[in-house]
Amino acid sequence: MESLRGVKMIYELKVEEDAPMTVNNFLKELLTEGEVDAVIAMTETPSGKSAFPTMISHPEKLSTNVFAPLLPVSTGTVVSKVTKVKPPKKTLAVVLRSCELRALTELVKLNQADLENIILIGVDCSGTLSMDTYQGQDQDITEAVLKNESEDDLRTACLNCKDPVPKNADLVIGTFGADTDKNLFLDAKTEKGAEIVSALGMDESEGEEVREKAVQDIRDEKEENRKAFIQERSEIEGPDKLLEFFDTCVNCHNCMKVCPVCYCNECIFESSIFDLEGDKYMKKVEGKGAYKTPTDSLLFQLTRFNHMMLSCVGCGLCEQACPSDIPLMDVITGLADNAQELFEYEPGDDPEEELPLVVYREEEFEDVEER
Amino acid sequence: MKDDFEPTVVAFLCNWCSYAGADLAGTSRLKYPENVRSIRVMCSGRVDPVFILEALNEGIDGVLVAGCHPGDCHYQSGNYKTNRKMILLKKLLTDFNVDSDRVRFEYISASEGQKFADVVTDFVGTLKELGPSPLK
Repeated sequence: MESLRGVKMIYELKVEEDAPMTVNNFLKELLTEGEVDAVIAMTETPSGKSAFPTMISHPEKLSTNVFAPLLPVSTGTVVSKVTKVKPPKKTLAVVLRSCELRALTELVKLNQADLENIILIGVDCSGTLSMDTYQGQDQDITEAVLKNESEDDLRTACLNCKDPVPKNADLVIGTFGADTDKNLFLDAKTEKGAEIVSALGMDESEGEEVREKAVQDIRDEKEENRKAFIQERSEIEGPDKLLEFFDTCVNCHNCMKVCPVCYCNECIFESSIFDLEGDKYMKKVEGKGAYKTPTDSLLFQLTRFNHMMLSCVGCGLCEQACPSDIPLMDVITGLADNAQELFEYEPGDDPEEELPLVVYREEEFEDVEER
Repeated sequence: MKDDFEPTVVAFLCNWCSYAGADLAGTSRLKYPENVRSIRVMCSGRVDPVFILEALNEGIDGVLVAGCHPGDCHYQSGNYKTNRKMILLKKLLTDFNVDSDRVRFEYISASEGQKFADVVTDFVGTLKELGPSPLK
């Protein structure tokens, strides 16, 4: 992806009916003008109870709401699914929130997604709600979240978001700094993005400075939230507390299945490797006296953390998918930040930067050898 | 009672350097504690953190991973990558307040029989201090 760092091209999308409809019309134009052959964007389900990333190729079937405050699945995972075997020959535009883009960038590094012929459209994220909260709300919830009126309802992960502003997209649909009743920003970040905007002939925006300030403000706010959140969570003191934290885990592996960066194609815990002979279990219970079954839920959680924490994008899907309501983000937020700090690695930030565990430097962490 | 405690150690030794080092310790009649159970792997890079976590979870008191010295890896970079993996794993254990000294990574070459014996002696000493694994 050619980057246009330093070159700023910011355009304006005039809001006609409401913000979601405006973006819907923009996507429709992309399809009818032949700029793209299909799009993937959040669309409310017929029941109105949910919204899912939906793939659409017929302009008349477009009824997207890219601002629907729900994250049922990471669109990063969806793009991986579509492009992993072989990317499409035709052009596909995908609308993603910032955490989904971060996840996608990580998946590209893991060779589990290919961005050839994919146009990435990022969208500013004002946060998402839990499935239950979303289902219990009326239609106006999109607007309420967009205008920051439902902050108390946001998911833990969203309150402490790493960065709600999309990175590494070709185009960014901006709401921060915009009066969403009147206009939205359209930020061209790459040549690909700029070509599309110029083909459609859009108006340049005057509000660049306003947007920049609003973006900085929200980033500062989230960073503060995140720091306070991590500090607030008391550490898990020792193995007993650790067992206590996970003692409602039913070992369903949902957290692993929804995690966009849980990268093993076949999870070792789904294999029969931990199935042992009866005598082994008997020997084990002799040593411990008593243990909860299934036996490997704690081992599963620790191994999962060890695998994904360097790439954790903080989407909180694991917590959302947990049937036992284990507040996983209480643990993962700090854990991931610590690990990423250790390797000075920021997942989803720079597509060129390699994953910390596949590179090495000859001179580093020398104390290990000395000890 | 602490003195009676004999920790169990699992050692993952790389085929090209550390396993040969352990072999040399034996053929040289060097003394080291018998608490260690050696497992030969082709490269220290083969040691997935899940092996270590599984060992700890099953009640092993300490895990030693040993590989070639920097620059000596038979596969060029396996030992460097292990280094990074071990640092990450130790960080995880520390964050959960499990003593990360229960996991140890060392560079031991094929000629370092003495170092192997020293490392094992020292490690077993550390583990005796720490006491039985709380995960047991």
